[in-house]
Amino acid sequence: MATLRTLALGGLSALAIAASATADDRTAITIAVDNLWPTMDPVIGISTTGARVHSNLFDTLVRRNRWEDPDGKSLVPWLAESWERTTPNVWTIQLREGVTFHDGHVMDAEDVAFSMSAERLWGPEPLARRGTRYARGIIRVEATGPLTVEVETELPDPNFIFRLVTPLGFVLPKHYYEAVGTDEFGQKPMGTGPYKLVSFDPSTSLVAEAYDGYWNGPVPASGLTFQIVPEFSTRFAGLAAGEFDVIVSVPADQVDTVRNTDGIRVMEKSIENYPMFAFNTLSTELLPDNPLTDANLRKAMVTAIDRKGIVEALWGDATFVPSPFNFPEYGDYFDPERKARFTYDPDRSREFLAKSEYDGQELIWHITRGFYPNYETAAEFMVEQWRDVGINVRAKIVDNFSLAYKRPFHMLNMSMSSEFSGDPYRPLWMDWGPLSSRTRASHKTWVPTDKFLELGEKFEAAQEFKARHAAYLELVEEWENVTPGMYLWRNVVSYATRDDLAWDPGNSAVTIFDKMYLE
Amino acid sequence: MTAFIAFKIFRAVVTLLVTVTLVFVFIRFSGDPAAALAPPDAPQEIIDQYAKAMGLDKPLWQQYAGYLGGIFRGDFGYSIHTGKSALTLFAERLPATLRLGGTALLIAILLGIPLGSVAALNRRTLLDRCVMAFSVFAFAMPNFLFGLIMILTGALVFNTYLGGSSGAGSWAGVLPPALTLGLAAMGSFARFARSSLLETINKPFMRAAEARGVPFLRRLVRHAAPNAAIPLVTLIGLSLGGLIAGSVVTEQVFAWPGVGQLLVRSVATRDIATVQFIVLAVAFTMVLANLMVDLLYLVIDPRIRAK
Repeated sequence: MATLRTLALGGLSALAIAASATADDRTAITIAVDNLWPTMDPVIGISTTGARVHSNLFDTLVRRNRWEDPDGKSLVPWLAESWERTTPNVWTIQLREGVTFHDGHVMDAEDVAFSMSAERLWGPEPLARRGTRYARGIIRVEATGPLTVEVETELPDPNFIFRLVTPLGFVLPKHYYEAVGTDEFGQKPMGTGPYKLVSFDPSTSLVAEAYDGYWNGPVPASGLTFQIVPEFSTRFAGLAAGEFDVIVSVPADQVDTVRNTDGIRVMEKSIENYPMFAFNTLSTELLPDNPLTDANLRKAMVTAIDRKGIVEALWGDATFVPSPFNFPEYGDYFDPERKARFTYDPDRSREFLAKSEYDGQELIWHITRGFYPNYETAAEFMVEQWRDVGINVRAKIVDNFSLAYKRPFHMLNMSMSSEFSGDPYRPLWMDWGPLSSRTRASHKTWVPTDKFLELGEKFEAAQEFKARHAAYLELVEEWENVTPGMYLWRNVVSYATRDDLAWDPGNSAVTIFDKMYLE
Repeated sequence: MTAFIAFKIFRAVVTLLVTVTLVFVFIRFSGDPAAALAPPDAPQEIIDQYAKAMGLDKPLWQQYAGYLGGIFRGDFGYSIHTGKSALTLFAERLPATLRLGGTALLIAILLGIPLGSVAALNRRTLLDRCVMAFSVFAFAMPNFLFGLIMILTGALVFNTYLGGSSGAGSWAGVLPPALTLGLAAMGSFARFARSSLLETINKPFMRAAEARGVPFLRRLVRHAAPNAAIPLVTLIGLSLGGLIAGSVVTEQVFAWPGVGQLLVRSVATRDIATVQFIVLAVAFTMVLANLMVDLLYLVIDPRIRAK
């Protein structure tokens, strides 16, 4: 029966493709990217360079609506048509009918259960290890009907559905994945998305064509090519000459030049990722008398920096300095009036410094070269501002994260993403809590205080907004009391397109070229 | 003569072995590959799982023994990301690099040597000065800068994109990157050709030939050229070896889908097997080219044969 249905649908979509091929007045779009992740499995390939492609080949169960609101605060049913919290720990997801994979196979509950399975994501040695954090706390995923899936979590999670917009929510074809295996799937990915893979060579390009059997058609472009062009000037030249339609990652200092070129439009988008640094608050074998164990010195350092001035100088109005864990994407949790407790105030900085026992020794700040745009430039400003109040910091730029993680260091560059739950759970508790890499990895930088742990558990257990919100405010206060790190700004990504291309990705590093985003 | 050849081959093998070892050591000291594969904020147990999957949890000597053993069996390892063998990945990219490098070398030889010869035959004239000024410029110009100038000028002035994008690999598309890559070699070929030819045409046997009434063209082609060719053969040999390695920057600038781009990507993603194989392949071509040059001397120069 399933085979018959597959055949019938396959035949229909073939007809549809044939029909559209004869009357296709759509154009193909070429996107020049700096890189492509070597595998296109949407979980194994979690990365900025992968995310530009994934949502064009695959669909998630739920999507954020960024076509009407750039920050995407509302959720939209996507491959999931509806959902319900049947018990505090169990969510029942109803799937959309008539969705097909690119081979014409009909998507059903088995595909969803497989995509979120223990074998793939959360078992002892999962196939897609990068997805573990998204699947944390899931203890059962089961297809309970042809289009119904139940997901059970260990603890009650009122915001579980928000996770289905992350890579956890991508639906993969079970039959195809099992037939070709993990490696091959990453090279020849197939999903239910608007575009169907034609070819993928991780060191040159990925080519896809419109999938005219797409459930949310019509697909606006006849095809997409993601072309690797590592050098920015070459991407720019290609865009200016009409070879490319979209280019990514315009360096901050080149934005004006590109913007002033005829026929080109530049978009700077602040996204849900926040570059910052962590103070190493621990005394370790390689750093026996670390002065940063003293919160006074940490607060002196935070109050010595004019972040607003630096951000305005480097970014103009493209981004802003957030107060800790207070982000616009969090809807009701976001309070534009709430300010950071420690802001720029050199006098206060000197007072904190006087209270500490800091004797002027050099503090080493590990920074990964070129990873966060403008970070090194900001670091130069900051080192000078610290020098002004009498703190001696040396920024040590290294080539990759594993070198940055090598001790000894006093400060470490990092960023925090705020996706995941629609509230500050991820940045606040998953990134600083007892299971976070800040606390457990070889490059850990702090030990949460007892109070932080107690408040965090309260926050995690709270089910209603009011209680959760109150716990969140207390937790933030405790974090600021300790000051184990400092936020810099909301990260910025930039795109340049030919100016007649009606495409806007919203405030996101994820690029989607379906009819919601591309006219 | 057999001893000469045997020694050269022995030296080549030792060079390769040293290269292999250095690559093995350095790639493991330039940052933990397992940590590079995991997301930047991955917990330690995820990093450990990657390390286990890649065999990086074994003692270093065991990894090294396994690696060397693999090389002798012709097994160069598999890309951690794509599951393809390093050899396959390299072979897929090689034609594009050879086309680029070959064209560049051809441009360098066909333009460089005639330019140098013209300069030598017109010594101390304006033409000589101009040719030499050009060759110094060509040699000194960093190829990434020349490439970028060419690409930006093409796009902004002539509305033509000169990078190797989706149509990369076409013969027309190869000219801009090949010119960029071949420019420096062209400069040095011209200078070497000039000095070598000058030295040769002032030798007594050239004057003897002139006294015997041998026509100019014959003197140049039959008497001067073979003698002047020896240093040039060395230079071409070295350039041949550098074909694969030398194109890294040019391939990046022009988005040319060759071995150079694969190398840069593999280093960035800590794809150990691929990096090791590419470096080994580059070293192998270098060593092979040197060996060929040594053997070619025997053919060109009877004096070396006699020794």
